[in-house]
Amino acid sequence: MKKINYSIRDTFGKALENIGKTNQKVVAISPDLKQATKLSYFFLKYPERSIETGIAEANAVGISAGLALSGLRPVLASFGAFLTGKNVEIRTSIAFNKAPVVLVGTHGGLIGPDGTTQAGLQDISIMRSMPNMLVIQPSTNNETKSALKYFLSKKNKDIVYLRISREITKEFFPKKYKFKIGKIIPVLDEYKDAYVFTSGPLLSNCFEAIKGIKGKKIGLGNLSSIKPIDIKSLRSIISKTSKIITFEDHTVYGGLGSAVNEAVNKLKCKVKIFNFGIDDIFTQSGSVPDLYKYYKLDEASIRKKIISCLNTFL
Amino acid sequence: MTKLKKEFNKICSKVRRNIIEMLFSAGSGHPGSSLSTVEILVYLYFFQMKFKRKKKYDKFILSKGHAVPALYSVLLEKKLINRKLINKLRIIDSPLQGHPDMNYLKEIDFGTGALGQGLSAAIGFSIANKINKTSKNIYCILGDGELQEGQVWEAAMFIGSKKILDICTIIDNNKFQNELSVIDTLNMGNLKSKFTSFGFEVLKLDGHNFNQIKKSLNYFLNKKKRKKPLCIILNTIKGKGVKFMEHSGVWHSKKIENNDYLKSLKDIANNEKN
Repeated sequence: MKKINYSIRDTFGKALENIGKTNQKVVAISPDLKQATKLSYFFLKYPERSIETGIAEANAVGISAGLALSGLRPVLASFGAFLTGKNVEIRTSIAFNKAPVVLVGTHGGLIGPDGTTQAGLQDISIMRSMPNMLVIQPSTNNETKSALKYFLSKKNKDIVYLRISREITKEFFPKKYKFKIGKIIPVLDEYKDAYVFTSGPLLSNCFEAIKGIKGKKIGLGNLSSIKPIDIKSLRSIISKTSKIITFEDHTVYGGLGSAVNEAVNKLKCKVKIFNFGIDDIFTQSGSVPDLYKYYKLDEASIRKKIISCLNTFL
Repeated sequence: MTKLKKEFNKICSKVRRNIIEMLFSAGSGHPGSSLSTVEILVYLYFFQMKFKRKKKYDKFILSKGHAVPALYSVLLEKKLINRKLINKLRIIDSPLQGHPDMNYLKEIDFGTGALGQGLSAAIGFSIANKINKTSKNIYCILGDGELQEGQVWEAAMFIGSKKILDICTIIDNNKFQNELSVIDTLNMGNLKSKFTSFGFEVLKLDGHNFNQIKKSLNYFLNKKKRKKPLCIILNTIKGKGVKFMEHSGVWHSKKIENNDYLKSLKDIANNEKN
């Protein structure tokens, strides 16, 4: 695992700029947040394929739909909280019309001093409920780059919500990592005592937390493909473990944990599932490490929670 | 009367008859809102928009999606959809969904139904014209009640600010919305000055008058002469062509019963004679 000093959103911005060279159909749309979402790289390089809508997300959604239905490949990026707040516009103009737009929601999770109104903490639930919409949360720089490349390949016509975190994350995957839709990527290949699912910046917190629990065999799966979910791997994992634990920096109502619950429920098995994330609350301002500690999603809290799950008798 | 105008009137009557047939058969839908858009739709589909063989080249968005029976009725007269569908509005697996649906009917350029969204998509089509080096004209019809949606003004701001000339923004100003008149619901004040202040050139005309529609849509095509985006406000009558439905909000989405149906057809036939 390498230490790196650039964030997933930087990687997203740079990767998009690169893809713009080979795929002339890519168009970037920004409602006055291109510096924060890092669409700014693309805007500088390809002004003729960049659209600034002003602070008008609903219009940006509609413009993206029109572009997509004209054979172009629009990438609309804003804070996830603001973008997915335009639920009825995304639902009618994009999802219902099968307009192949790549929606990028940055600033997912506990984002820091800007506070809860800016933080994407319900975005996955909202987008997951929408027909025709895929929901992907890349966990590292290499995965972000590869996922973006996948969705912006010339043949791809998926409608996708990409949740991009604001923070610097550790790298788990090789440089030549190839993103595949609907796959759980095993990070720790153990099953006996429990298996943990997460994605995004919590992947490294979970990894470190598990590493600190001695004498137990606990697996870790990177669930970046939240919708569609990898039923096949899930079936195989639950046949080898008795406890599934999910972690997300998102409301527990309708997010990654719910996606796992729904899928496991279909598989009819006796595995016990524990879901952890943000409760039914609005969070607050604070430094990012303080927030993850406060809402019990830092490494130490995650470790405590896993241990308490291990000690729960079924 | 010119030959063209005669032909136009004839098609409009047929379209009105189709609308009534469809809505009567469906047992639900929006008669008043459909009848007010007949003339503009007929003009657009029969005299204005470019077709390449049977495929439309220009783009059309019915942002007030609930008026879709009028659009289906025009497509029927234009022979773009099968006449058998006249009794298939709003029933299971039918191409004629209750609101425009691209998944069920390929003649629809943009599915709508949640109001306020069409004009933004029109901007997308217009920017795509530039990138794809095409020259499709884009026509978008909005209701006057629909203008209460904030997104419409986000789009209007964009069109005005960027001076987009290939979008024709058309308002079906029939003065009624779902429950009451527009004035009694949320008075929109002076629409012309609103659009003018957003950077549009605004034409106000009788939305049922062939010559006036023709003149304004010809003017739209004259992009060299125009310096500003065009907004056409059609002064229309809700329920136009069926006397007992006219000038009333009651028939926004009222079910057509058997006696209403017979009376409507009689009215349309009478109007045709005059």
